[in-house]
Amino acid sequence: MLSFIFNEAMRDLRRAGRVGVSAILLIALSLTALGGFWLLSLNLGRAIDQWGDRVRVIVFLKDEPPAARLEELLQKIEGVGGIQRLRYVSKADALRLLKRSLGSQADVAEQLPRNPLPASVEVTPDAAIATPEGTRALVTRLGALPEVEEVQGGSQWVEGLEQFRRLFQGMGLVVGAVLAMAAILTVTTATTLVLHLRRDEMEIMRLVGATESVIRWPRLLQGMAQGLVASIVALATLEVAYALAVPHLEPLLPMTIGLERVLFLSPWQALSLIAAGTLLGAVGGLLARGRAHA
Amino acid sequence: MIRLEHVSKVFGSGPARVAALTDISFNVAKGEFVVLSGASGAGKTTLLRMLYRAEMPSEGDIEVAGFDVAALRNSEVPRLRRSIGIVFQDSKLLAGRTVFENVAFVLRVLGVSRREITPRTFSALKAVGLSARAQAYPHQLSQGEAQRASLARAIVKSPGLLLADEPTGNLDEEMAVEILGLVKDIWARGTTVLFATHQARLIPQLKRRTLRLEAGRLVKDEG
Repeated sequence: MLSFIFNEAMRDLRRAGRVGVSAILLIALSLTALGGFWLLSLNLGRAIDQWGDRVRVIVFLKDEPPAARLEELLQKIEGVGGIQRLRYVSKADALRLLKRSLGSQADVAEQLPRNPLPASVEVTPDAAIATPEGTRALVTRLGALPEVEEVQGGSQWVEGLEQFRRLFQGMGLVVGAVLAMAAILTVTTATTLVLHLRRDEMEIMRLVGATESVIRWPRLLQGMAQGLVASIVALATLEVAYALAVPHLEPLLPMTIGLERVLFLSPWQALSLIAAGTLLGAVGGLLARGRAHA
Repeated sequence: MIRLEHVSKVFGSGPARVAALTDISFNVAKGEFVVLSGASGAGKTTLLRMLYRAEMPSEGDIEVAGFDVAALRNSEVPRLRRSIGIVFQDSKLLAGRTVFENVAFVLRVLGVSRREITPRTFSALKAVGLSARAQAYPHQLSQGEAQRASLARAIVKSPGLLLADEPTGNLDEEMAVEILGLVKDIWARGTTVLFATHQARLIPQLKRRTLRLEAGRLVKDEG
């Protein structure tokens, strides 16, 4: 029985002809778009994670603490939680840093009547809270301390990148969904066309007592086979595009988003894409309606 | 094998209402050969279609091969149909398949093992004298041969009941007699036969019990 169902499905696939090929191409197109967005989003995500590790929060103090109270203050700051490291920068250290950054124009700083720079504490958040939301909460907690004048830094731009990634993922999902719908409709059309061609067979099958599952399985398999072929085509297209683009992209990445390498989809992700294609084809095959008498 | 009690069939409603069959009752015993006669439009095909549940009766009870046809769930219809062989006026052979494949198709659909399919298919083809044409395609067959192939397809699953819906309607008299002879051979091997025909000349040759339909009513049951 299994060989019968399989052979009928393959016979139907051959009969689908150009419409069947169109269905395969459309599924491949939608999966390529979906996979492409996935790939880019994946690498953007890695960049965001990496930048998350470099997030710093600067806590400016109202007054420079006396040396005897410094340890106590640092412990108090650490006590707000979610902090990996602290580094105290005294007023003198801040001025020294300013001069160093001014280089040959460091004389300007010498003209100042007094050191206007505040003492500060450079805070490195815990990796676990180095997200836009986590960092925001940390900034609020630090700002509530009475010794603190102002809290700066954080993850505004990482937040922007994160928003861009979300927008990108959303776009990918919308484009993928639209293309997936089109692919399902094409598979449905291809399968319906085949069902129309084989309505006599279906009539005979029903008349001799075939169960509905025996009648339906070949069309489901036909759709699945189309989806499977399409997802392999999509993966191959992505691989080729990746292989062609990476040598040009990689030299630019460290200077822009800070990544050393662009990664391709993992084997599990590639398998998920193949499963999605097969599922798309199956849905199209199941939605097909064929008319047969009896 | 077949029992109908006060069966009626109405198509449409209101002014478009057409009574195809009215208050039909009869029995066909196991192993019997019964002719269903009547002019075109008398209701023969509708009656046969109700027997294999392609149509539902509007009223009355139908029992076929132990199945209460009207009460059958859709999922149980295949079981009813497996016990019935059906031949039509047109052979309904599948154009892209050889005679052998057309007959074997039934067994493949029903999940018969590959080992059994070939001998059973050849046995059915032999029973209708078509073994030599096993590899021919439908378009290469004469009408008589096509109808014989259709008969082979109906009997290959060894049904207890054969419903023949005007199988000789498109044939000349010589071919019709030949097909009739084959149907009688099938009946002689123990299959119950309900043979529908509008060809009045054939009926005396059959010398069997005859049910006559006129305008959807059973007007005669004799023989």
